Amino acid sequence: MRLVFGLRATCLGVVGLLLTSAGLVTANAPKKEEKKPAVTLPVGALDTKDWLKYSTKAIEPGEIDRLVNAELVKVKIKPAALTNDEQFLRRAYIDLTGKLPSQTDITEFLADKTPTKRAKLIDKLLETDEYAKHWGNYWRTVITTRATIDFRLQQVVPQYERWMTAQLKANKSWAEITREQLTASGKIMYNEPDKNAQAFFLMSRRGADAVTEIAAETSRIFLGIQIQCAQCHDHPSDVWKRQNFHEFAAYFARYRGERPVLEEKKFVGVQLTSLPFGEHRMPDKNDPKSGLSMNPKFLDGKAPAGAKPVASTKGPIDPKGFGKGGFGKGGFGGGGMSDEARRKGLTDQITDKNNPWFAAAFVNRMWGELMGQAFYSPIDDLGPQKDAMMPTVLARVSGSFRGNDYNIKQLFRDIMNSETYQRQIRPGEPGEEHLMFATRNLVRMNGNAMWQTLNTVLGPINSGLGGKFGAAGAGPLGRFGGLEQQFKNEFSFDPSTKAEEIEGSISQALMLMNNPQINQRIRAQGNNMLARILSSYKEDDEALRAVYLRTLGRRPTDRELKTLRGHIGSVGNRSEAFEDILWALINSTEFQMRR
Amino acid sequence: MSTQLHMQVQVNDDGVFSRRSFLRTVAAGAAGLGLMPTLAAHAQELRRRQMACILLFMNGGPSQFETFDPKPGHTNGGPTQSIQTAVNSIRIADSWPTVAREMGSIALVRSMNNREGEHQRATYLMKTGYLPVGGVRFPSIGSLVASEIGPRDFDLPQFVQIGGGGLGGAINNGFLPMQYAPFRVGNPNQMPANTTLPGDTSRTRFDRRLGLMQDLERDFAESGGEARVTDHRAHVNGAANMVRSPRLQAFDLSRETAATRDRYGRGAGGFGGGGAFGQGCLLARRLVETGVTFVEVGMGGWDTHQNNFDSCRTLSAQSDAGFGNLVKDLRERNMLERTLVIWMGEFGRTPRINANNGRDHYPRAFSIAMAGAGIRGGRVLGSTSDGGNDITNRPVGVSDLFCTICHALGIDPRKENQTPIGRPIRIVDGGNAVRELF
Repeated sequence: MRLVFGLRATCLGVVGLLLTSAGLVTANAPKKEEKKPAVTLPVGALDTKDWLKYSTKAIEPGEIDRLVNAELVKVKIKPAALTNDEQFLRRAYIDLTGKLPSQTDITEFLADKTPTKRAKLIDKLLETDEYAKHWGNYWRTVITTRATIDFRLQQVVPQYERWMTAQLKANKSWAEITREQLTASGKIMYNEPDKNAQAFFLMSRRGADAVTEIAAETSRIFLGIQIQCAQCHDHPSDVWKRQNFHEFAAYFARYRGERPVLEEKKFVGVQLTSLPFGEHRMPDKNDPKSGLSMNPKFLDGKAPAGAKPVASTKGPIDPKGFGKGGFGKGGFGGGGMSDEARRKGLTDQITDKNNPWFAAAFVNRMWGELMGQAFYSPIDDLGPQKDAMMPTVLARVSGSFRGNDYNIKQLFRDIMNSETYQRQIRPGEPGEEHLMFATRNLVRMNGNAMWQTLNTVLGPINSGLGGKFGAAGAGPLGRFGGLEQQFKNEFSFDPSTKAEEIEGSISQALMLMNNPQINQRIRAQGNNMLARILSSYKEDDEALRAVYLRTLGRRPTDRELKTLRGHIGSVGNRSEAFEDILWALINSTEFQMRR
Repeated sequence: MSTQLHMQVQVNDDGVFSRRSFLRTVAAGAAGLGLMPTLAAHAQELRRRQMACILLFMNGGPSQFETFDPKPGHTNGGPTQSIQTAVNSIRIADSWPTVAREMGSIALVRSMNNREGEHQRATYLMKTGYLPVGGVRFPSIGSLVASEIGPRDFDLPQFVQIGGGGLGGAINNGFLPMQYAPFRVGNPNQMPANTTLPGDTSRTRFDRRLGLMQDLERDFAESGGEARVTDHRAHVNGAANMVRSPRLQAFDLSRETAATRDRYGRGAGGFGGGGAFGQGCLLARRLVETGVTFVEVGMGGWDTHQNNFDSCRTLSAQSDAGFGNLVKDLRERNMLERTLVIWMGEFGRTPRINANNGRDHYPRAFSIAMAGAGIRGGRVLGSTSDGGNDITNRPVGVSDLFCTICHALGIDPRKENQTPIGRPIRIVDGGNAVRELF
């Protein structure tokens, strides 16, 4: 499937390959067939109009499974078995809170015999602070990994993360969260934490190209549409042309991104700046120093409510970006809409119930995060001519999301209570293909989840600065944050990357293997986890089970037990052997995976 | 050692592609895979594989007036004087005696320009060749070079980034595979973080633990995690190979004599005002000697809005010792012909001296220096007007600079890499190599 997506993206013919690829997929099912009849994959594109045909009624229990299973039947793929309670518990904890369950959580959940205990757990976790923090961190990372954050803005990143966390905790709707950010104005002051931090997103750009960049990021993050591909030339396989991009950018014509707030020659905050005049110009292809002024228009070609169109004129483009596009026909102070009115108009159009892309982008992203694979891949690359896996399922789930006013926690419930979410990983699934939601796709934990997981297992890791300047290796900013910040920087990745493209690194491996503070916690001494387990369980097998349950959320397999017993025997020193085992588990692939 | 390394290079190029980039290339319809490389191509390939590059990056934007384009006698020049270099016709600022002695190997470009006057964006541009555009994470030049000419099966990272004081944290392998990400060394005076085994772990125990881990991973691999285990193992093995590698000692500056270390300059620690830049240059030399393809050494403190002249004098002393001695040692060890050294910052500084006796950002005309890898030393390319306000001859843009780097290292600047959404991105967009430099 990866291959097919790749080919589509580069506009080559693909029909033949769809069939080949179908052959590949079916070849993974129980191996009895050599020449299965080719089937057509449930892959297709949806036009803006198609989306609106799907019901906006709330998703019913079992509905997602019926829809997915119906597609799986057509391609003759059997879904994987459901997770057992141990597997489900670890998955739900890590996915919702970025943390492993504690020993007590594990014991209680396994002892609970009520049939609704999985649904109850999901409800419980959605109400925790950890849920809001974990996803607040997620959204902060979505924005900051592709932004240019200068040292002035860097100081308010934690404020923004706290703001996002508070929205999620209160279960504000995605439309509301979006509106707050896109219509923001004013300042974020360093000495006024938790005030106006929603303006952060719009401050993540500055300088000459802030206009086109923020337009591109707004479209990518909130609509899932990478309209910037049309910035320079018409893309042959996309409906949106160059002019569409520049009309979209015109919503930000008078936006100028972040500027410092200075008091007595000191930086005391950051502010969002607007110009009272000026229009965005689409550069002339033959003479990029001049261009035609643009009026704001949405992806559907419609102007925002209350638009005050200005006659398009040709004029010079100021490379410094100040008053880019000159004064336009409207002249200084008048003509055209104000910066705030443009952004409000844009937000109204983005969050309009008849714009399906807003809901689809969010649902596609969340589904991708929870299932390990999304309908559209990468998760921020949707569009009427882009192929999606099982697009009709996405259309129905995002219909429901629109219908319930973009209720985020409800979406988590809808997805996580489905059997589709609760399936096991299974053997023989190649890592590069779309698994069609028949089984869970493995995804690496992000930096935040890895750090928390490690701390849950080992107990709080001493994060103090190591050595004279702090152990190096985490980039210029991480150096001052102690091990915790270094670790998170080292293990973080762009959340919009495909699961299979999120790779580990040598620096990560070195840190887990050799970091003295982490190793200190692995040792079977003092109050460390291992020391406690070894003194509570005198039988090796019991101790091994406890270590496994604690680190991987499961019991060891028989073969693993055999290997482990052999290891303990050959080392001859119980503590030392168990330290090796804990080290091996912490450094293993499985420990770092959401499975 | 390096000869052995080169002989290990497989002539058949298929190992160059990671599984992913291979798929990308196939997806892009690249036709080159089936071609049998000719003998000439082998020779070319082997030559490329020997090349290395060291980027000395002056974070903050160094003043051209106080470095390589002094204007003594003009109001804009301030109190800075110039000195004679080893090349009669070339004069540079007077705090650069070591570089002056090495001028026969160094070419200056006094007509560098870009259009970004903001640190972050200008740094991004100077390190990737592109401006940040929403949606695309462009790779650093170090990652590009490592992916193009780095040796395979090498037991140290191919791109090492030393020191800081800059804003470069977000500039990394971009859309290229993680194996080309910069390996960061914060303080060259210490071994890189986590490369030495913890106190309670002997080599034997380390190997035992790794063996146990691999045994224990079998069940997870067989139950559906195989592809992830394979990926993970590559990084674990990479890290383990590094820990065990005899080449790791290249990171250990205590193996150099005190005299050598003194010669490169021992700045006071810290990360703001240059810090351990000289020692970083020495480490860069050692790493390139041992086979690392790309080393970046950062130096902070060049944002001299205030007190420009005193600051530049201190900074120059450190930068001069590091840069000058690096070129000298590479030359004396016959490594300069295969090692490109670039000295630059994100932009220059204003001709006008401001009220705080400082200079502000000036991207319109500034200087960079290059040496090695076929660059003809003892030359000055381009010039600025008497007051330094304008380029008067042979402007060089960022794309031209990147094409020049590619030319020196034997890289095709027009080669396209694919982003995750299948968008083709050239190594360099536009520009031309500055042929006069070779």
